[in-house]
Amino acid sequence: MKKIFLIMMCAPLLALAGEAGTAIKIDTLRAEPFADAKTSGTLNKGDSVDILSKKGAWLQVKTKKNSGWVRLLSVKRGSASSSNAVGSAIDVASGRSGTGKVVSTTGIRGLSAEELKSAKFNEEEMKKMESYTTTAADGEKFANAGGLSKTSLAYFKGAK
Amino acid sequence: MNKLLLSLFLAAGIFSTQSFALDLGKALKDAAKQEIEKVKNGGESAPTETPAAVPVESSATTSPADKPVLPAEASPEAKVMGEPAKPEFNWKNPSKAEEIALGREITGSILGAAPLVKDEALQKYVNEVGRWVASQSERADLPWKFGVIESADLNAFAAPGGYVLITKGLYQKMQNESQLAGVLGHEIAHIVKKHQLKVLQKQQLLNAGASWITDQFGKKDKIAKKLIGNGAEISARSLDKDAEFEADRMGVVLASRAGYDTFGLVEVLQTIGETNKADSSVALLYKTHPAPDERLAKLADSAGSKLDNVIAGKTLENRFYKLK
Repeated sequence: MKKIFLIMMCAPLLALAGEAGTAIKIDTLRAEPFADAKTSGTLNKGDSVDILSKKGAWLQVKTKKNSGWVRLLSVKRGSASSSNAVGSAIDVASGRSGTGKVVSTTGIRGLSAEELKSAKFNEEEMKKMESYTTTAADGEKFANAGGLSKTSLAYFKGAK
Repeated sequence: MNKLLLSLFLAAGIFSTQSFALDLGKALKDAAKQEIEKVKNGGESAPTETPAAVPVESSATTSPADKPVLPAEASPEAKVMGEPAKPEFNWKNPSKAEEIALGREITGSILGAAPLVKDEALQKYVNEVGRWVASQSERADLPWKFGVIESADLNAFAAPGGYVLITKGLYQKMQNESQLAGVLGHEIAHIVKKHQLKVLQKQQLLNAGASWITDQFGKKDKIAKKLIGNGAEISARSLDKDAEFEADRMGVVLASRAGYDTFGLVEVLQTIGETNKADSSVALLYKTHPAPDERLAKLADSAGSKLDNVIAGKTLENRFYKLK
């Protein structure tokens, strides 16, 4: 039982390990996941990396030359040229490939600007939506049940 | 023409069209003129007067002789005559109740285009996650409402007063609760900062909007309702890019405050970025939002070192509600 629990705990980590990534901006590689840790190299925009693990705001990555920790926000998953490779998978997901594997398209359609413009107010659906409203107290209970605890973090300003 | 006016109303959730915006001023004027003509020609009923503080651009709307007057508000005699004062929608500084009424109209219209997914457990779950995240915001007092709608698109919508919708297609791209929290956090931020409301105010829907919403409160003026149309169109319109960037920044902070992993929204944006841009499921999203890569880069630049020491929050993949 404990083992299973352990495996579950590691799942997100395992899923990340070995995944390809691309630097979206120049950043410093560090020996540890802290801003004041020793520098172990530099990551240039467009550099390919292997993502080894994640800790808080940091990713442990390996490049051709170096390895170390870099800010998660500086790295995008996937290799630089892979953005379109997923197209076929999306087609499957939307049922367009005809396999029907992931989603039945029955009753499901896209939502275009035109459709939104011509849409009519639906009181019945609105009432249904309102019936699911959760109170702040119930939201807190739900958070506690999941072991979530509040932390304080200030909003930050946008870069110019 | 009604449709054009409708299109004034749009602004979206995670994702919003500049080309549209250019037509807005003209469309609104045209629609307002048309409406004025109707009134002149003895239309079904008269729209209410624009509040004095509201700037009015179209010359057609400023002709005093033609201006229909809202009885109770406009003349003291009307009150004496015993007609109850009809609340007028205060566009300059809408009350919470007015914001909610406006959001309800917009959201109900989106639901007219795409109904809720018939899965009560899913809807309740999304409300629980969303409510908890919204409670970490400055507007915890709003009656927050969330829903997943039947659409294979990847998109999400926010409307004034605390209404948030996400598509089933986007939900199915998520792998854990922190990602859902991040996406809802982005939408919650739009509402907290009143982004959509400001678009409506700025674009001077004021004139038409005032009579429309007064109709909602006063149950009288049907013509105004026709004029505005459904209100869902605002959800097909772009917000300012900076509003999207701001919602991204706030979204990660709100999810983090709620105890979730800070980067759930980032993961979802990356997933969306991997979607073929030509795919119809992201057509509206891309039309109404900056590209995911641009958003990710902006977020990284803005965060700088400010998130370096965030506490590793929970992702809760085990609790994430799986759609059948």
